[in-house]
Amino acid sequence: MIVVEREYRADDLHGFCRIGDIVATLNEEQDALASLARAWSAGAPGARAAGALVDRPRTVLPPPLMFLDLETTGLFTGAGTQAFLVGCAVIDGDAIRVRQFLMPGFEHERAVLNEMAAWSATHGALVTYNGKTFDVPLIETRFMFHRLPFPLAETPHFDMLHPARRLWRGRPVTAGPDPDESSCSLSVLEKHLAGLHRVGDVPGFEIPSRYFQFVRDGDARPLESVLEHNRLDLVSLAAVMARALTLVSRGPLESSNPHECFGLARLYERAGAHDNAEGALLRSIDLARRVGTEPEVCGEALRRLAWLRRRSGRVHEAADTWRELAALPRCAAALRREAKEALAIYHEHRSRDLGTARSLVLDVLKDDPMGRRKAEAEHRLQRLDRKIAVREQGGLVAALDDTLQTGS
Amino acid sequence: MASDPAATLPVRRSLEHKQVALQSALQVLASGSSLDRPDTPDEVVTAVRRLPAVEAAYAPFPAGIDPRLRAAFEARGVQQLYTHQAEAFDLVSQGKQVVVTTPTASGKTLCYNLPVLDRILKNPATRALYLFPTKALAQDQMAELHELVGVLGQVTGDEIGVHTYDGDTPQDARRTIRTKAHIVLSNPDMVHSGILPHHPRWAKLFENLQFIVIDELHAYRGVFGSHLANVLRRLQRICRHYGSNPQFICSSATIANPSELAERLAERPFSLVSRSGAPRGEKFFVFVNPPVVNRELGIRRSYVAESRRVAGEFLRRNLQVIVFAQSRLTTEILTTYLKEDFEDVPGMPERIRGYRGGYLPLRRREIEKGLRAGAVRGVVSTNALELGIDIGALDVCVMAGYPGTIASTWQRAGRAGRRTGQSAAVMVSSSAPIDQFVVRHPSYFFDASPEHALVNPDNLHILVDHVKCAAFELPFTTDEAYGQVNVQEVLGVLQESGLVHRSGHEDEAGQWHWTSESYPANAVSLRSISSDNFVITDHTSGAKVIGETDFTSALSTLHPKAIYMVEGKIFQVEELDFVGRKAHVKQVDCDYYTTAINYTKVTILDRFASDSPNVALHGEVHVVSRVVGFKKIKFHTNENVGSGELDLPEQQMHTTSYWLEIPIAVMNALPYAADDRRDGVVGLAFAMKQVAQLLLMCDARDIGLSVNTSEHDQAGTDWPRIFIYDAYPGGIGFSAPLWGMQRELLSKSSALIASCDCDTGCPTCVGPVGETGPLAKTVALRLLDHLLGRSEGDGFSHRFPATAEAVALQTDDEVPF
Repeated sequence: MIVVEREYRADDLHGFCRIGDIVATLNEEQDALASLARAWSAGAPGARAAGALVDRPRTVLPPPLMFLDLETTGLFTGAGTQAFLVGCAVIDGDAIRVRQFLMPGFEHERAVLNEMAAWSATHGALVTYNGKTFDVPLIETRFMFHRLPFPLAETPHFDMLHPARRLWRGRPVTAGPDPDESSCSLSVLEKHLAGLHRVGDVPGFEIPSRYFQFVRDGDARPLESVLEHNRLDLVSLAAVMARALTLVSRGPLESSNPHECFGLARLYERAGAHDNAEGALLRSIDLARRVGTEPEVCGEALRRLAWLRRRSGRVHEAADTWRELAALPRCAAALRREAKEALAIYHEHRSRDLGTARSLVLDVLKDDPMGRRKAEAEHRLQRLDRKIAVREQGGLVAALDDTLQTGS
Repeated sequence: MASDPAATLPVRRSLEHKQVALQSALQVLASGSSLDRPDTPDEVVTAVRRLPAVEAAYAPFPAGIDPRLRAAFEARGVQQLYTHQAEAFDLVSQGKQVVVTTPTASGKTLCYNLPVLDRILKNPATRALYLFPTKALAQDQMAELHELVGVLGQVTGDEIGVHTYDGDTPQDARRTIRTKAHIVLSNPDMVHSGILPHHPRWAKLFENLQFIVIDELHAYRGVFGSHLANVLRRLQRICRHYGSNPQFICSSATIANPSELAERLAERPFSLVSRSGAPRGEKFFVFVNPPVVNRELGIRRSYVAESRRVAGEFLRRNLQVIVFAQSRLTTEILTTYLKEDFEDVPGMPERIRGYRGGYLPLRRREIEKGLRAGAVRGVVSTNALELGIDIGALDVCVMAGYPGTIASTWQRAGRAGRRTGQSAAVMVSSSAPIDQFVVRHPSYFFDASPEHALVNPDNLHILVDHVKCAAFELPFTTDEAYGQVNVQEVLGVLQESGLVHRSGHEDEAGQWHWTSESYPANAVSLRSISSDNFVITDHTSGAKVIGETDFTSALSTLHPKAIYMVEGKIFQVEELDFVGRKAHVKQVDCDYYTTAINYTKVTILDRFASDSPNVALHGEVHVVSRVVGFKKIKFHTNENVGSGELDLPEQQMHTTSYWLEIPIAVMNALPYAADDRRDGVVGLAFAMKQVAQLLLMCDARDIGLSVNTSEHDQAGTDWPRIFIYDAYPGGIGFSAPLWGMQRELLSKSSALIASCDCDTGCPTCVGPVGETGPLAKTVALRLLDHLLGRSEGDGFSHRFPATAEAVALQTDDEVPF
């Protein structure tokens, strides 16, 4: 077995990030880490099988963190796909230490797995990028193939892909015209978040064939760039995680991107921090207004803000927000309709302004909605007409009005 | 009569009344003749056979059976077993591989459920894998097993896990099934692409796998069977890896060679249980040939209309009827007709239902339930109800068209008939050659053995595909064997194309590892010949995909200017993008359809058994075929209204073929002009292909036909040849058996042509008039007489091989009907 060790020292740069800063963030932002873990309960893969995730969510990511990334002989996680390179990164003082286990031939897999098992036993939580669906099931299959116990069965596992998607999906403010740029792949994120531009990187699809070539002719030189690719992935994963922790910890003022702020709000919501979520939404709306080119994110943020306020019982504030949304220029039709429906409900039941409610419903019907929406709107209109008629008949009436309301 | 609109269904009657009703319907059908009488091939009802009732033969529960299992059965009112169930249990207890062939509704499933449940009770670690040819059958079996296991659970307090595992199984349930299910019900396709490639996750099943149950074994023949044999090789390979050695229990409909088929598929010796202990009521089997309406063209009354009339006779007398149709379209048509004839009472459950693949599962369950409860009085089905779905036992089975094989005809007929009381099965033949042969020669069906199911697990194309899958699943060792071929050599070839890599030094033991990022099982489909297909795009208004066609038939159905039909709409092919595998079509309005003119040339590469001086041979051939043009045929009248030439790429393949060489002396001895002689050979070839299909129990597309009529070809031989080749690269195992059955092939072809009513040939015997010459029929018969040694002073019969088959068919009994 070939083991490659490489240390990234505190003063080394990864893109424009100092390794020392990444390490410091990962070490210090324990509260933010706990929030992330809470938002995406970091169950152990084995625990999920037993259904334990629901009963006993593992929200703690015990240090030291171990970052894991595999290079494999294929993308299909069946018995014939092997991990020829197991890359692990850990924090060592103020440096990042990467250890890579390379399989010199297929017959050495068992040895690699044993070594990996021994090494992982000395570490805490596992951090991956898309590891829940790919890396961990794949390596688990390898252990099963060799009838070895899976050492990570009880290890809490945090897949950074999910929060990354929340935070950075659809961030066209900074991205170029390339549609790939809005994806959430690690290689896109490292460019935007860490300013890393790889030179001479081996494309992912070429990796398996490079390994097969090495197995056939024994020449390891083409593998050097695969090893480097894997190391950069690991350090980028740490950098992306550090950036997420910084955002969570310092809040929306840290960001000047309305998408990022919106994502942060969703993340706070998932973690149960509703006040923080509201702040992040307000900043997102503010930034979107200032940039002026982002009606979608502004509309979405207003919508979430309205619901957030409505849920915490601040109905009048929620109504103000719906009103703002309904008046938003270039707002998506579905959002505007939702806002008007919500406002109609508000005016019917809260402000008791039946006339306004009625004109809102008529507005909604003007857009010619389909199916259930149409039926609901028509039903509401009939009820409002009834109520208005009753109210116009005067006093009797208040009592009746009340019964009708409770009935609706 | 179907034309009687007032027909309604009276209420249910007692058994006795039912018998009277059945008798009277049969009397009407057979126009008063006795219900057990000699065959009359020229009449509408060609045969009426009475199959006597059979008493039940019981056996006590075997001594070794777990008392809890016995208690559970007794709780359900089962005090003893049928003899075949006890026999199967004993054989399984002795550790043998068992194949059971007993009729429909004889309690076949208990033959495997009993030993499997017994073993699970005795050792709860036991695992069993059940394979069914379709998902629906697995679901149906699960329902039955669940009931049994439920009763068992009340007796024992333990839970036995029974689960289906197929493409419909939800992801979150899969993990539990992999570890918890005692019995997994699946299908070969799922084992191939969903279980074997993930075997590490199934470790618990494979470590403890004691039984592999294969139901409906006869369904696995030809290409599908050859694939299954390889899936079983892979399965057993994985079992060896996990240290298990499962026993096989198979059940099959009645075919000629159940043990041989099981042995070919599982590559283990099998014991056969074929004597059913189940009782059977009396059954009448009737063959109906719709009357001729145009004798000259050999056209008969529509068999669909005739089936409607026959089914009506029974339905009107309130007998419960299942009608089997040959296609989804016919199913829908017959359902509509019968609904018209027996209009439902508003507000009452529908009494006539259709049933076919493509209906939603819920609807199918509802129909099945309705049949069991008796609320549904008539069901029209495709072969979807032929296999073991539980619909109870009905009174009458009407087959609209011959089902294609003896085995499948018995299987369908078995859908009618309770254990006591009378039942009837009626086969209404279409005008297809095979149907006409069978209906006019009832003995072929009633007295001959059913077909052989043939497979060729060592077809190199299929085998190599599965070797790739196997290498992905588990590295091959350098001393490992697989099938009857030298797999090490195969692996060596795969290494050259970079798919595997041999580890270790040349001179020591090593392993072959899979070295490709592709997932081989994804590229292999067990059911179709080629996974390559053509997509049909309609450009009438914007591009829209309207269908797909497999590669082999694409050229003859999607060539430029071809008419392509979908659900009654007519399209014309504007462009065939051969490289992109696309056909672009536009909707048109026209009154004709097209048929392709195929030119096929067969070159002999290698003759097997070439030392014997036979006129009939088999061997390896090279087939080149090309679509050279097409004909336009007018709807309804079938007139030829034009043609076109085409320039399309040729298709080539190596395969195996049977062929017949007609000695030039025989040709010369015929007192006809050269053109007529040639027509005779073509006509003979047409008839032989139909008969070959019958004998081989295969689909029309499985075999190809080519005639080389040039009396002096370049190879130096000067005999016309008729090739019947396996339409699958590498051959699928039809040629050798066909060669073995050649005398039967020729005598049956002779019987087919001789007994046909037409004057000068029709699609039922030597091919449609207009395609073959006026003397084709006469010349073909003369040729056969010579070849069969029946003509006076002929000196060629000695050319036939002295094979067992040839000896068995003496001249006086070669046409036994």
